[in-house]
Amino acid sequence: MAKRNLSRRFLPPDPHVAEPYRLTPKLALRVGILGMLALAVFATLLLRLWSLQILNGEQLLRAAQNNQRRDIRVQAPRGPILDRNGNVLVTNVPGRAVQIWSSDLPKLRGVRLREIRALARVLGVPANQIGAAIRRHRHDPLTPIKIKNNASRAQVFYLDERAEDFRGVQIVPAYLRYYPYRELGAHVLGYVSEISKEQVQALSSQGYRGGDTIGQTGIESYYDKYLRGTAGLSQLRVDSLGRPISLVVPKVPSHPGNAVRLTLDVKLQRAAEEALRYGIDRARNSGCYGCWNSNGGAIVALDPRDGSIRALASFPTFRPSLYVGRVRQRALDAAGLTARTAQAMNYPALDRGINAAYPPGSTFKPVTAIAAMQEHILQPFESLACTGSYKKNGQVFKNWDPFVNEAMTLPTALARSCDTYFYQVGYRFYGMPSDRGPRLQAWASRFGFGQKTGIDLGSERSGLLPTPDWRKKTYTKKTDPGHWQIDSLWKPGDSIQLAIGQKDLLVTPMQMARFYAMVANGGKLVTPHILLDVEQPSSNHSPGRAVPTPPAAAPEPTNVDAQALAVVRQGLYQATHDTLGTSSSIFGSFPISISGKTGTAEKSIDPGDGIARIFNQSWWCGYGPSDSPDLVVCALIENGGHGGDAAAPAALKVFEAFFGKQATVTGPIHSD
Amino acid sequence: MVDYVSNSRAAARARRREAAEVASLVRRLDWILIGSVAALVGYGLWAIAGITQRDVTGDPRYYLTRQSVYVVIGVLGLLVATLIDPDLYRTRWRLIFGGTAFVILIVYFQGAAIRGSKRWLDLGFFRFQPSEFGKVLFVLAIAGFLAERSRRLHEVRTTLTALGLASAPIFLVFLQPDFGTALVYCAAVGAVLFVAGSPWTHIAAIGAGAVTLAVLVLGVLPAAGIPILKGYQQQRFTSFLNPSQDPGGTTYNITQSKNAIGAGQLRGRGVDNATQTTLNFLPEHHTDFVFASLAEERGFVGAAFLLMLYLLVVWRGLRIVTLAREQFSAIVAGGLVFALLFQIFVNVGMTMGIAPITGIPLPFVSVGGSSMIANLIAIGILLSISVRARVRR
Repeated sequence: MAKRNLSRRFLPPDPHVAEPYRLTPKLALRVGILGMLALAVFATLLLRLWSLQILNGEQLLRAAQNNQRRDIRVQAPRGPILDRNGNVLVTNVPGRAVQIWSSDLPKLRGVRLREIRALARVLGVPANQIGAAIRRHRHDPLTPIKIKNNASRAQVFYLDERAEDFRGVQIVPAYLRYYPYRELGAHVLGYVSEISKEQVQALSSQGYRGGDTIGQTGIESYYDKYLRGTAGLSQLRVDSLGRPISLVVPKVPSHPGNAVRLTLDVKLQRAAEEALRYGIDRARNSGCYGCWNSNGGAIVALDPRDGSIRALASFPTFRPSLYVGRVRQRALDAAGLTARTAQAMNYPALDRGINAAYPPGSTFKPVTAIAAMQEHILQPFESLACTGSYKKNGQVFKNWDPFVNEAMTLPTALARSCDTYFYQVGYRFYGMPSDRGPRLQAWASRFGFGQKTGIDLGSERSGLLPTPDWRKKTYTKKTDPGHWQIDSLWKPGDSIQLAIGQKDLLVTPMQMARFYAMVANGGKLVTPHILLDVEQPSSNHSPGRAVPTPPAAAPEPTNVDAQALAVVRQGLYQATHDTLGTSSSIFGSFPISISGKTGTAEKSIDPGDGIARIFNQSWWCGYGPSDSPDLVVCALIENGGHGGDAAAPAALKVFEAFFGKQATVTGPIHSD
Repeated sequence: MVDYVSNSRAAARARRREAAEVASLVRRLDWILIGSVAALVGYGLWAIAGITQRDVTGDPRYYLTRQSVYVVIGVLGLLVATLIDPDLYRTRWRLIFGGTAFVILIVYFQGAAIRGSKRWLDLGFFRFQPSEFGKVLFVLAIAGFLAERSRRLHEVRTTLTALGLASAPIFLVFLQPDFGTALVYCAAVGAVLFVAGSPWTHIAAIGAGAVTLAVLVLGVLPAAGIPILKGYQQQRFTSFLNPSQDPGGTTYNITQSKNAIGAGQLRGRGVDNATQTTLNFLPEHHTDFVFASLAEERGFVGAAFLLMLYLLVVWRGLRIVTLAREQFSAIVAGGLVFALLFQIFVNVGMTMGIAPITGIPLPFVSVGGSSMIANLIAIGILLSISVRARVRR
């Protein structure tokens, strides 16, 4: 009580309170409820804390660590591409690339835009392009976005010194493709560029990641797996603003790509490309109908024994270096490498050797000849009339030389490329019983026409080998409402024209070269290929070792009668040596004996004025030396006129380079 | 009782008695509450020292020094509040209410805007946030009103008037905009009515009304094209319900906060290794997200210790409600304790992703003068109630 009184004195009693306030049961209940609530709150908080720190601690700790860790993919230097003699066709030069980590860019829109604009000014890259690149990579904030591949020293210094102002911008070493021979072999080599979103999705299982460089066409694409090497990994710690707070620590070293050696020969390739331009110039200067429009072509040169490609030229061409560093749309436009300008520039990116199909014309006649002899509907030394024209069922089929009128055997008909002779052979094929299918097409198919050659160079056309079935399938009521009843039938004219490689037949120069290789090597169908071997890069410790590669497909026997082949080879020899041989004037004087066939294929072409006309495609295919061939050459000049006008002289240039000998005399040309 | 000094014996007796009186007061103080609050403040200062070590280049003690100054001022406030008889508040509740509303109104017109929100009055040396003090004053005023009407509590009119009184400051704070503090006010009003003894039907009706309002503001009205909350407020409020929706934007803070807490694991990463804090991945780590930083640096042990200290304070506070001398004191104690509990839950829950993101500071730990001083004053009022309590154990 004393205590109580004492306290009362220090703190006087409250006069307003009449009687002591008591803890009512009602208040006790409510305080109890508040107490339970408090306990529940703390229990909830503690359980959540337990769940985060103890149950999920490891995982969240990793997340917190990853937060500040930036994995930098260290791009491996890409392997070089060499020719068969070790000449470097493509290699690398070191450069500095500028890239952006979009997650580390300033968060505030205004600051970010200011930084991007400043970066654009420094690098000379339009700001809207940088913005577009950032938007493109929006789905993937943790892959750096390459802004410029070949920053100059001054630019690198500038950005380094002002790193504070350029948050999220990083400078990394880069390897730039370098082409010592400029556009030489551009179609074969192809080009590289940054991997696209679709490619990442399709190829991520093979270790490709965003930001990688990948071959887009040609060897760069086909043998990318050898060339690209293995990317390494470095790590860097950054703070929340993306500023580095540690040095770049290498974790996994990168392994440079392997060297890819091609069967190509730089000298022959250069000769082939020059020959192509020479052939086109000749065509333009010849004044033949449509030849003013000659602006494209292809030359294939391969070893008939194994199908290894020595030269593969296509015109028009392009500089692969346009794709190095920052790719300028305007430069691509000017070079005809975009969809917008490709047509006007006659499709420079198209590899005409393998990826364009043309009617073969008379170069197809040896196919008809072999097939006819194999089917026993033609005796090799049987004489058939070669006349100015050939009439069948009221239809007139003309010979290229309207003034001829004599009986010919098969070799002579080949040598002088008599169309009417082969019209008769074609009609014989038409007359064969249909229960074994179309025989000429069966043999053509056995020689590889109408199908891909299997060359290790990527995109390839299979051409078109027309058959009765194909007609039926292609011309239906739906696709050809006017004339489908007629067009869907295989008519005598189809067989007759097929015999001289006209009408619907389409072949690629590579298919044609493959066939002539078969003739040259005695009946084995080779698979054209361009890879010689793959070598590991040599280092200080070990010399470069060969990397095992799948062997090139062995030549396959076609079981052609040796006798029939001999007759055709005789005909091809006469074609370049007889007085009236279609390319005798070109090859007759060449010290090495060359055999080959001209071709003039009619193709309906719109030269760009909206009116389609029939222009001649100039062909020449052949091999040399005649008795033991080392090289097959097939040349095609678009709108080049007669085979002897443009293609044969171009092919001769290739043989000259190959054998190191010059042709001395060139007589007047008399060819189809 | 009359005392006079007639001789030296009497003087000695008086001296003894005075000494005994002081000793009694000291004994009557709730030392467990004082101890736990002191521990909280001390622990908070220690945590702040570690958390803010690298925030101001060249001055690792910048925030610690400021916070210590606030603590000193706050302790003075606590002492003064302990000495003031709660009766003063009860009789002057109208003045308190008017003053509070007036100052908050001034803020609305004159306040310094920081990050788009006008919450502060700039006094030159100190940026003063009236809504923090308002929390305490507001409870006092509403409690005063309810105590005055203690016999008519069952009337609907009383409850409605109380709500009407409360709605003015709540609305003003909401307009600042300070959504979090407005929520604390709402919670305090609810608690005050609850402890005062409003009928269950009224409490239930208020609860239902709150739920309806929440649904309207968050769901129906925005859908109908009448946005009440600003876009970011709405997102913050709802994003904790589906955190994976937008890892770069609104939930960035929460993701980083959870990573920070989780990374602390059992024993914490220590001051130097707490990368979420030191590398600034965790924003506002000395104010709103201080709990996450603490959890990262001190681990489950340190964070749970802090929660236990809070639990102790809340327990002592609720005990004071039951011991209060009269109804007004009980209501005030209930309102203050519940407001404290609510702040703790919303702040800590926010850092762990189980409560909406609102800018409520963590009592006694977050760096901030107004909050620290106001909370210490609130504890002072609780102590004042407890020393004048009915019974001693």
